[in-house]
Amino acid sequence: MSFEPKIIAYMCTWCSYTGADTAGIARLKSPANIRDIRVPCSGRVSPELIMRTFEQGADGVLVLGCHIGECHYNTGNHRAAKRLPVLRALLAYAGLEPERLRLDWVSASEGERYSHITTEFTETVRALGPIHWRIAERGARFVWDREPISHRYSAFNDEQPKHAIYYTPVYDQQTQAIRTTARDLLANKQVDNVIGFEVGPRGRTRPAFIHQPEDVERLVWNQDCTHNLSAYLSKKLGWGTDGGRKKQPDRLPKAAVVVKPCDSRSINVLLAENRFLREQIYIIGMACDGIRQGAGFNNEKSGAIQTRCAACNERTPVIFDTLIGDPETTYREIPPEHIYPGIDHLNALTPSERMNFWLSQFDRCIRCYACRQACPMCDCPTCLYERDDSLWVGMGIDVDEKRAFHLGRAYHLAGRCVGCNECERACPMDIPLSLIHRKMAQEMETIFSYRAGMAAVPPPFVTILGGEENLP
Amino acid sequence: MTDKMKTNPMLPYLGKLVEVKDIATEIKLFRVEMLNGGGEAFHDYKPGQFAFVSAFGVGEAPFGIANIPTNGDATLDFAINRLGSVTTDLHELGVGDMVGVRGPMGNGFPMDKFKGKNLIVIGGGIGGAPLRPVIQTVIANRADYGHFQILWAARNPSLLVFTDEYDNWRATPDTELHLTVDQADNTWNHDVGLITQLIERVAPSPENAITITCGPPIMIHFVNRVLVEKLGFMPEQNYVTLEARMHCGIGKCGRCNLGTKLICVDGPVFTMAEVGALLESFL
Amino acid sequence: MNYLTHQELAAWLDRLAQEHTLIAPLDIAGNILYRPVSDTKEVVWDFVRSFMSVKEVFFPPTERLMLMEKIGQQVTLTETLPEGNSIIFGVRPCDARGLLTFDALFIENEPVDPYYARRRENTTLIGLACQSVGASCFCTNVGGAPDDPTGMDIMLTASNGGYVAEIITEKGEKISKKYPVFDGLSEIRPHPTHARKRELKVPPKEVWPARFNDDFWAEMAERCLSCRICAYVCPSCRCFDVRDEVLPGEDGRNQSERIRCWDSCNGIPYRRVAGGHNPRFMKNQRLRNRFFCKFYYFPIHYGPVSCTGCGRCIDACPVNVDITEVLGYVGRRK
Repeated sequence: MSFEPKIIAYMCTWCSYTGADTAGIARLKSPANIRDIRVPCSGRVSPELIMRTFEQGADGVLVLGCHIGECHYNTGNHRAAKRLPVLRALLAYAGLEPERLRLDWVSASEGERYSHITTEFTETVRALGPIHWRIAERGARFVWDREPISHRYSAFNDEQPKHAIYYTPVYDQQTQAIRTTARDLLANKQVDNVIGFEVGPRGRTRPAFIHQPEDVERLVWNQDCTHNLSAYLSKKLGWGTDGGRKKQPDRLPKAAVVVKPCDSRSINVLLAENRFLREQIYIIGMACDGIRQGAGFNNEKSGAIQTRCAACNERTPVIFDTLIGDPETTYREIPPEHIYPGIDHLNALTPSERMNFWLSQFDRCIRCYACRQACPMCDCPTCLYERDDSLWVGMGIDVDEKRAFHLGRAYHLAGRCVGCNECERACPMDIPLSLIHRKMAQEMETIFSYRAGMAAVPPPFVTILGGEENLP
Repeated sequence: MTDKMKTNPMLPYLGKLVEVKDIATEIKLFRVEMLNGGGEAFHDYKPGQFAFVSAFGVGEAPFGIANIPTNGDATLDFAINRLGSVTTDLHELGVGDMVGVRGPMGNGFPMDKFKGKNLIVIGGGIGGAPLRPVIQTVIANRADYGHFQILWAARNPSLLVFTDEYDNWRATPDTELHLTVDQADNTWNHDVGLITQLIERVAPSPENAITITCGPPIMIHFVNRVLVEKLGFMPEQNYVTLEARMHCGIGKCGRCNLGTKLICVDGPVFTMAEVGALLESFL
Repeated sequence: MNYLTHQELAAWLDRLAQEHTLIAPLDIAGNILYRPVSDTKEVVWDFVRSFMSVKEVFFPPTERLMLMEKIGQQVTLTETLPEGNSIIFGVRPCDARGLLTFDALFIENEPVDPYYARRRENTTLIGLACQSVGASCFCTNVGGAPDDPTGMDIMLTASNGGYVAEIITEKGEKISKKYPVFDGLSEIRPHPTHARKRELKVPPKEVWPARFNDDFWAEMAERCLSCRICAYVCPSCRCFDVRDEVLPGEDGRNQSERIRCWDSCNGIPYRRVAGGHNPRFMKNQRLRNRFFCKFYYFPIHYGPVSCTGCGRCIDACPVNVDITEVLGYVGRRK
């Protein structure tokens, strides 16, 4: 008995669903494998819905909408056109064959086109065989027993790479400049607090919140200032996202924040998303030569810079009120193949090898949500993946649930993630999250020529097609 | 012989719904008949205790038991407000469907200590559910208790619970029933206003009296304030039943603590003196 | 006293692994974790502290409590208690102390939790005394010691290229019988040595309430991310969540499972009820609750202090929220 794939088709009510009806009336054959679900618009078919569909056992997912320019809601299908190719790339990267997800356009009168697409898609999925996506056994474990794939650019060689930088410690000038700026801001009551860095009793650099001018001596700047402090801004300054108060308070809370170039890009993303107003923050921008691997913890003393810093092109923040320091550029020319070889390595594997790789990484995950909490952009009042009704993912800490969470989060960050890699640093299990987020950033750059956070503008997924996109 | 493995406190008893009726807007009364001898567990039930009701496939949540399960023929009443995923699933069920029940849990009201005293029962909205067995106990043993006052409130008339029992309550000797709503409609011809205003108007005397309050946390807070500051009650006389998010109900999962007290095993019944001495606020 | 060379130990463990599930420390992508092994060649013998504690074996991150099946209006429940025996090799004294807090919670406090109790009964612990103290370790301040055999069934202490082995309990004796070198039960060493004196002392229960409303909690919580790393790596944190989840249906069967999973009072939705009210909405309330639970509420309810001084939370916290700073603060104030 040959395998009969289960295919879920999300069809927009105005064009493609009617097109399916037209096919039926004209007695054109379409496979019985297609289970249709009518939606108001193809733009409504959200990525987590598609991911959930695969997890629940669909062998293929077909999304059909109106042709571009014919959407009943004008631009609803623009969203589908933009989002689904990126979702396909993400799922392919995680080991799901991209041919299992197809987006196409069928108008109300195109019965024959409907019949053709569904027949073709069913055969494609049939050739791929039944889906192996959901593992479903409680307690199943996965270990990657092949050659390591690293997210650290120095990790392929045992000896220190030629391009590693060894730091001289604490930058006195920058430290003094930060303290002076903070003291002035607090003394003039321009801000309620200054968010910067301090060194704790164990010698670890950590975030500091200074409320009084006399406390500014706690602030420092050194090669361990790894945290993305803009993660604290939404909670401190926002009045709509949580805290319950929905209307603008009489006196807006204000804060000053010390940011590196990557962190400043986060601020642009947050501003574009209206988390708080520009006038609420005073940005103390730091010119940056890179942060040490092992920063924030006590465990590594190598002095090599973090991978994200090796890959970074910005030396000064893209948005600031005060700029402190001058960047040195002596180490700029690190060959790209030394920086993120992990992504290319993964791209070269087969889908099932990639799937095993990611399962073995998420196997270690304990679903502590540190990655999400450390991220400035992850700020939903109730995380989609932490709902009490388990709508998008169950509560369990097994590999299916963890993978769903990470892939879903990676998707939600596409076009928003600035690559600060704090999620990866915070991860207690050393899961190479940067290999996913960087991959998504690469896709966004390839398809939309877009880099998150370079300006306070909405990301590609919320805007309509402009015509210059490189859609596959 | 019960079918539930008695040694496993996380396993529910099976119960069958024998009656499901709407008693207020988004509030239904579920009457559950315990199966396979599970009713034996409720033999020593005290008013104020609660049980976890399972909507199989969705989850379970704690609800106050709203009646006195009679021995042998154990049916439990639960008044459930539809609000989240478990309660929504429960609201979809009908007569004959099965639910799970784990209980009874908690400390219950010390009805013996209340004997001979004047009782004032103050219920706000769905908070009236765990107070109903208190009222039923007093009515069934009327001579054991002193003067009985019931103050019943809700945001509006469609949210008042157990309306079909009010005549019965009024008909009990030496008993007063006072109703109030925050917002009236044109069918309403009783008091209008907050429960605290009603309490001041009725002005129960603190002498030899016990108050029992159940409702939203903010209501408990203001009711206690009126009783203590305006009417001269001591916090030791004011009994309340608190609630919290719970997942085990047996003092293991650590979730429901209010300072040093676990609401599932040290409560849910506390005096306001105990609550006031706690480090954490229940608000 | 029994003495084993390293080869004898490995050979004995290999024999045990053939007949039982042997769990030992492995290096998984640079993290030392306790995992089942079939061959001692993979075992890491020399380590300071594993990344996750052995709590995972007794109180797994996700545990199925029961299965439910609906056929029409009929529901059938199937209890799913854990099966099988295991032996854990390489347990550090701090992890064994963590199990004692779990025993106080799940077994000594009525009602008994059968899932934990079963696993506990069917697992044998082979302890390994620490040879060095980590920078963040403070077990001696909570009544432990690097060579403390409390809670172990067999205790191994490295010495002169081999191991001194003490058989402490009957469970330990049972598995030692597989190897003729051991000569039976020996007494528990009465005076564990102390590796290093520290100034920090754990403040007694009584001093905590006065500190409840201090500004310190808000100050420390400002940098807290409200993730759950500290609770999950901790050998004695035990909060859990319970929910039903639908299982993929075969042939139209309507099956679901009731699972319990790790949770932490640090998480924002920990106390949020369906109506939206959340009594611990602020970060400082949650952070404060975690420390008060460990050193004040847990001892009141169950007896032991819920901290083993292992220091995992200190090493793992991304923003350096440090339990020893908390203890230092509470202990200093009079």
